[in-house]
Amino acid sequence: MAPAATDTNWSVNYDVLKREKLFRNPPEDKTAYPSLAASIKPHVDSFNALFESGGILEAGLKDIGTRTFLDEVTETAEQKQQRLAEGRRAPRRNKLHVRIKEVFLEKPAIPVTNKFTARNRNIYPSECRERHATYRGKLRAKIEYRVNNGDWAESVREMGQVPIMLRTNRCYLEKATPAELVQHKEESEELGGYFIVNGNEKLIRMLIVGRRNYPMAIVRNTFTNRGHAYTKFGIQIRSVRPDQTSQTNVLHYLNDGNVTFRFSWRKNEFIVPVVMILKALVETNDREIFEAIVGGSSSEGINNTFVTDRVELLLRTYKAYKLHSRSECRAFIGEKFKPVLGVPADISNEEAGTEFLRKVVLPHLGNQNVTETQDYDKFKMLMFMIRKLYAVVAGDCAPDNPDAVSNQEILLGGFLYGMLLKERLDEWVRSFAPILKDWSNRNHGARFTDPAFERDFVSKVVRRSNENIGGAMEYFLSTGNLVSPTGLDLQQTSGYTVMAEKINFYRFISHFRMIHRGSFFAQLKTTTVRKLLPESWGFLCPVHTPDGSPCGLLNHLAHKCLVATKDTDVSHIPKLLVQLGVRNESSVSLDESVSVQLDGRIVGYCSPKQARVVASTLRHWKVSGTNNVPLDLEIGYVPNSTGGQYPGIYMFSQAARMYREVKYLPLDKLDYVGPFEQPFMEIACLPSDLVQGLSTHIEFTPTNILSIVANMTPFSDYNQSPRNMYQCQMSKQTMGTPGTAIDYRTDNKLYRLQTGQTPIVRPPLYNAYGLDNFPNGTNAVVAIISYTGYDMDDAMIINKSSHERGFGYGTVYKTKVHSLDDKDSRRTKSKQAVQKLFGFAPGAEIRAEWRATLDEDGLPHIGAEIKEGSIVAAYHTVRYDASSDSYINVDGITQFVKYKDSEKAFVDSIRIMGSETGTEPAQALSVKYRIPRKPIIGDKFSSRHGQKGVCSQLWPAVDMPFSESGIQPDLIINPHAFPSRKPNTTPEHSKTNLTNTMPGMTIAQMIESMAGKAGSLHGHPQDCTPFQFSEEHTATDYFGEQLRRAGYNYYGNEPLYSGITGKEFAADIFIGVVHYQRLRHMVNDKFQVRTTGPVNNLTGQPVKGRAKGGGIRVGEMERDSLIAHGAAYILQDRLMNCSDSQRAWICRDCGSFLSTQVAVSSAGSSKARLAAKSSSGSAALGGNAGIVRCRRCAREAVYEDSRAVVWEDGEGKRFVGGDNVTVVAVPGVLRYLDVELAAMGIRMKFRVDN
Amino acid sequence: MSREAYQVPSLGGGNAFSNDNMGAGSLDGPIVAYLCGDCNARVSLKRGDQIRCKECGHRVLYKERTKRMVQFEAR
Repeated sequence: MAPAATDTNWSVNYDVLKREKLFRNPPEDKTAYPSLAASIKPHVDSFNALFESGGILEAGLKDIGTRTFLDEVTETAEQKQQRLAEGRRAPRRNKLHVRIKEVFLEKPAIPVTNKFTARNRNIYPSECRERHATYRGKLRAKIEYRVNNGDWAESVREMGQVPIMLRTNRCYLEKATPAELVQHKEESEELGGYFIVNGNEKLIRMLIVGRRNYPMAIVRNTFTNRGHAYTKFGIQIRSVRPDQTSQTNVLHYLNDGNVTFRFSWRKNEFIVPVVMILKALVETNDREIFEAIVGGSSSEGINNTFVTDRVELLLRTYKAYKLHSRSECRAFIGEKFKPVLGVPADISNEEAGTEFLRKVVLPHLGNQNVTETQDYDKFKMLMFMIRKLYAVVAGDCAPDNPDAVSNQEILLGGFLYGMLLKERLDEWVRSFAPILKDWSNRNHGARFTDPAFERDFVSKVVRRSNENIGGAMEYFLSTGNLVSPTGLDLQQTSGYTVMAEKINFYRFISHFRMIHRGSFFAQLKTTTVRKLLPESWGFLCPVHTPDGSPCGLLNHLAHKCLVATKDTDVSHIPKLLVQLGVRNESSVSLDESVSVQLDGRIVGYCSPKQARVVASTLRHWKVSGTNNVPLDLEIGYVPNSTGGQYPGIYMFSQAARMYREVKYLPLDKLDYVGPFEQPFMEIACLPSDLVQGLSTHIEFTPTNILSIVANMTPFSDYNQSPRNMYQCQMSKQTMGTPGTAIDYRTDNKLYRLQTGQTPIVRPPLYNAYGLDNFPNGTNAVVAIISYTGYDMDDAMIINKSSHERGFGYGTVYKTKVHSLDDKDSRRTKSKQAVQKLFGFAPGAEIRAEWRATLDEDGLPHIGAEIKEGSIVAAYHTVRYDASSDSYINVDGITQFVKYKDSEKAFVDSIRIMGSETGTEPAQALSVKYRIPRKPIIGDKFSSRHGQKGVCSQLWPAVDMPFSESGIQPDLIINPHAFPSRKPNTTPEHSKTNLTNTMPGMTIAQMIESMAGKAGSLHGHPQDCTPFQFSEEHTATDYFGEQLRRAGYNYYGNEPLYSGITGKEFAADIFIGVVHYQRLRHMVNDKFQVRTTGPVNNLTGQPVKGRAKGGGIRVGEMERDSLIAHGAAYILQDRLMNCSDSQRAWICRDCGSFLSTQVAVSSAGSSKARLAAKSSSGSAALGGNAGIVRCRRCAREAVYEDSRAVVWEDGEGKRFVGGDNVTVVAVPGVLRYLDVELAAMGIRMKFRVDN
Repeated sequence: MSREAYQVPSLGGGNAFSNDNMGAGSLDGPIVAYLCGDCNARVSLKRGDQIRCKECGHRVLYKERTKRMVQFEAR
């Protein structure tokens, strides 16, 4: 009998046995936590969409198309003249057509050159982590080429190794069950969605981009910079090709009513009159254009003189070009854009114009083999855009807000990866041109028709091109920098990838739900982009965003928000719409007709009244599934309004959209809504919000709007909102459990909490997301009492016995790679390049002290205690000896790798990393160090409510207060932590509600405290889902009653006895059980002290930076306060003595540091030296010479001068005088300043008193 | 081995790790066993050997748990 299918339903219960069984026997059918897998789905699915048949890359190859190269006909000037004279035509140039037929990506495998591995040639992700390598597969491209009209020849090229996203269709673990995952050294709940690059887990984070295929009305003042007559009005459309690359088209409104068409092509901007494009698209006339914008002669639009005037002008100004037919317009455009489009030189202007329209103008409506109908679609869309533009200018409709989620979509990692890959392939084919030319030149003007070409094309031309696309992709992933000649229609060039840090699981999972607005907006001074807009309801979590500089720019998806990764089939929808009465005739008057669009294609027009019916009918069909209307179709119905958003029906079915589930009331069934349609729908949040006859939808549960992490804050509805934000931040910095496969991980730094527990108070989602597999904190008995004086401010006191029992005990794992080969020569490594080997030099002595940490192989033994400066590995230099096929050490000197960190560590594991070829000796060592970190004073802790505190004392258990039942608190926090965290609450002491008896900001922590206490007393978990209690049904009563039943005080207060005196406190103390997190910020990583230490070479001042042993700056403000205190000696000590104080000679007469110099002793007599001694007072500083004189105040000695007063400089010149010099203590930089100023011809003079 | 018979190995030499093939004279160096990261087989390597499992060709080898007595001051 087959085992029962794994249960995927979870409740709030502990489910200890169920989880135990899941751990012992990882499921062999499917994961027990499907919602966890669903949360990273957008990443995996977007990558999967690349390589499947009919996938994105295939569409990209079609867009690249066939590239044509022409050979040169070499002809001297005379030959040309002769030819022209004879009236012969130029000889035909041969065409070489090249196209990429197919691209394959293989799964990661060891290279064929490795003959040692027979059984399993697969490389699994865990090996890449352990070897600090990249999880990548071989990319191959099949190119086809032909000369002129010959037969296609093909060749398969290897394009390097491309990083592969885990658990996608190019990964071995795609469909792996938890049992198989564990087999391959992964977490049982490994999710994938990231890449492994050089052993680091990297992911491409989701980026917000403008909604595709929707013309947005934009009012932007910078538009006026485009030229004179340009206004701030524009209509912008981000047109997306089937391969997910985009082309932005903008229509600009000019002062006089004219409209121009702007686009960017390979990072350059171009502007074309819109009428030229209209006339190039279809064979048309002015009347047709006029009527297409304004409406038929019988329509109401004719009366809109604002538009008719402008359209007239639009058409009249175009007359100047004297281009009438479609072919004339295309030829004109083609002629102008031929050089930039990269089309073959020999095609006609008209063909070039057609190519321009295909590539640049609204490519979403026709990108490959553009038909007449598609051109007409583009024409209609441009008409619509002109109409909307005039409407914005006239004020008939409001501009669209590009910062609202309703006008945005998500650029998924996989899609960006595909865009980049496509572009690299395109560039690769492009790069043939110069190589072909070079080939031709080298072979004395060889032609493509030469027999040599057939032989040479692949071997001499293609091979010379840069085929290392894999390297480019790896560079992109490891740095996040986008190197692109087209810019990919994106606003930034860096910051696309982030490291998926596994500090704890919350942190890890948040990376995959993270959405960035773009680093361009981070520099923006205005805060409008950061605002939380009502449009984001249910799509972006309102709580989960960091505070500080990325606030509002770095958002997280709500946990029920989905992202489409596939285009839905909607080919039958236009027919349905026609049946619903959508027709072709239109008018500029919005009361007469509004447009119906499907994915940026105008299906038709209907009256506003009809539009409402069409939208609601489609909605009903969509939910009920009749007429094959897909459930995830977004039906954005924008009703007519006065000065609101431009009305119409806008339907979206394509990928990269966000959508979420709500309940459709008429059918009581699930419906998906998107951000575009949501603002115009009536979705009730709670049943009490329902409005009869108006509401069409209701939320399944209000917590759907929160992210995974924000959902884990207990009773978050009782907290002041910033506290919930802080908690989202802090839970991601918690020292928790990164996973169960810690042994096979080689992260640079890994934090681990040894004593993690499941929280007593948790929402059911905690189990649904399987967070018990990654415990993040400990349940602690917390007393809120001012007890010791160490619990001031945000400090907390830990019971020393709890500490000894392991409360908050953690470990830090650091993995260091000790490599023998130099970093820079790594690329060009060959077998002969092995210059060093691990181990003691053979034949040389091995000292006992070395063997303290090292085994005889020269590597440390497991468990060795390593201190700063300890020996970690021994190595010696070698030379390869071919005759004996061995490495020979000549010098017999053993060298050592030393441990540089200051903290004591233990060797946890050692990995010896071989190469993929399996032929190299050990050149790199991956050593994992374990650093025990018990909680000490200064470590940071926090509850789950943004209440962080620093451990201020480990208090002996005997001195801790105790309750009547003998319970001691594990933690003490000060009651002042609560009221200070609140805006303004009147401290009413009404006994009905806890929120009143305990005024404070993080009320939820108090409720958690009560709930935790009741839960532990009754032995059951507590559901802390927010929004479950109300004024009528209060949390206090619910948990108070539970406490009362357990024989405790209703409100969680208890009489407590002083641990010191044994007396009962005058007041009852609020004591309960709260889940506490230990944060990764620990004093051991932060403390910074110095008395003396490294100083800056130039200034002599202490260097900055903890890592360099520098000091903390006593800055201006600190200086100010010391002055205010009159603490002059401290100031002197800090700014002078501990900094760059130095004693310098100065001349009292001329006040200069620079003119003093040491007189050479031999010249002066002993008397003179004595005189100098008496005059300066401190001869010690004079150095060996003893006397210092001012050269400036001295005069050259003459014969008459007595030998007693004459002194001599280093060159033997003799001087007299300048002996009024003295030593002063000055900052070193003062002298430096003097020198710098002197270099500029500025003299500083110091007046020296006493 | 009885408790009395156990002798605390000294750190310098003469412990379980440095048996006969250890020695300053041998040019090939000592042979030390490692564990394969894939099949957990014991792989004996000497200085300059190619890093791969003899059984399965795997490319990551772990160092074995030490046989030395590891003793710390518990503080």
